[in-house]
Amino acid sequence: MGKYVERFDTKERILHWFVAASFFTLLLSGLGLYSLLFHGYFDLFGGGQGAILVHKLAGLVFLAASLLLFANHVRDMSTFDDDDRAWFRSLGGYLSKDPNHLNSGKFNAGQKAFGLFMGGATVVLGITGVINWIPATFPAGIVRLSLLLHGLFFLLFIMVVVVHAYLTTVGNPGTLESMIYGNVRRIWARKHHPKWYKEVGGE
Amino acid sequence: MAQLRTGFLVDTSRCIGCRSCQVACKEWNRLEVDKTTHQGTFENPRDLTPNLYNRIRFIEKADGKGGVTWRFVNERCLHCGDAGCMKVCPSPGALYRTTDGIVGFDKEKCIACKYCVSACPFNVPRYGADDKVSKCHLCLDRIGAGMVPACAKACPTQTLQYGGRDALIAKARGSGKKLYGENSLAGLGVLYALEGTPEEYGLPADPSIPTAIFLWKDVLKPLGILGFWGSVAAVLVHYVTFGGRKIEEDPAEKGGDAHG
Repeated sequence: MGKYVERFDTKERILHWFVAASFFTLLLSGLGLYSLLFHGYFDLFGGGQGAILVHKLAGLVFLAASLLLFANHVRDMSTFDDDDRAWFRSLGGYLSKDPNHLNSGKFNAGQKAFGLFMGGATVVLGITGVINWIPATFPAGIVRLSLLLHGLFFLLFIMVVVVHAYLTTVGNPGTLESMIYGNVRRIWARKHHPKWYKEVGGE
Repeated sequence: MAQLRTGFLVDTSRCIGCRSCQVACKEWNRLEVDKTTHQGTFENPRDLTPNLYNRIRFIEKADGKGGVTWRFVNERCLHCGDAGCMKVCPSPGALYRTTDGIVGFDKEKCIACKYCVSACPFNVPRYGADDKVSKCHLCLDRIGAGMVPACAKACPTQTLQYGGRDALIAKARGSGKKLYGENSLAGLGVLYALEGTPEEYGLPADPSIPTAIFLWKDVLKPLGILGFWGSVAAVLVHYVTFGGRKIEEDPAEKGGDAHG
């Protein structure tokens, strides 16, 4: 028996990094549009019009990749069982030094909530993005609401991404390997996702 | 804000609907002619366009005796003291305020985001074939040379009176006119002396920055800065408080070291 067990296949890893790369492109090209405070970021794209063009193209890549990634994982994150409710009650054990791990499946309750949020936010940002792109096609009230929602969901998104980046790297050593090589150590799987580990042939 | 704001007083009681202002504006600013069609009204064109910075809105109303009453009102950028277009414009200098309080625009700096169209409480900015903003700039080039704007120069009835804003307000008050826009949006640069309610002239009774735009620029922006740095601080505090969840090597674990 090998020391590793597969967690994300090649397609899933490629999709994830397409989402990540397009997200950071969107972030850098969109900051200047969000507020004058970040006007300097336009320089990265040769000015505001360049930033808008890049933002539109990256938005299309992000929309497609994020929806595909969501569709790929939705089966594993759309139901919450008693173990997930226990996870929420103890906040995943993140507010204690207690090493006890909770009985999670492929994704723990927090990861499920994260995945569902990402899917929902992608839809909202995608729809409002298209409205902001061609505002003359829509009534002014709709465009104004769309501008506000695009900003609001961008903000929620970046906050969630900060936490995601932390929990998948230094917060939980050994996790990042799953998104780079595709596999994780058996002991990592057994401790973090015991229910899933059993399903994929662990003991 | 400018110390000495200039602007217009539009006295609708004097307007005869001759549209000299429309023509003079087009001539001075060298704006293309808009092709229009007859639509059963003398109002023409029916809306502002990228090539029409000001126009006369004709308000026709049946008087109940088989006749029609007319009201005329000059429609244009109102040069708000607190301008929604400037609030949302992400390209410094594309929309700018002069020292005398006029909101000008610079097509070279416009990046075609069209946010100003959504943020204007009066639906004024237009985008043309060049995909750049256009609207009334109160003939900044003429004002700079000590002349009055072309529309006011051409107006034969002194409906459009250009001058210092305070003087115009005092003048209107002196003759007992009811003023529209004196205090709205930090004071409009174009003030109206109306003969009826604002709604009768197609103007919002209490103009303000659209709510969604206010929430974005004045609420979400500060909260966002707090939210982003708050989440960064939260993970840092978490890391130094609880640390990462290291998983020790299990000595009983056997197998190769290579991934995959």
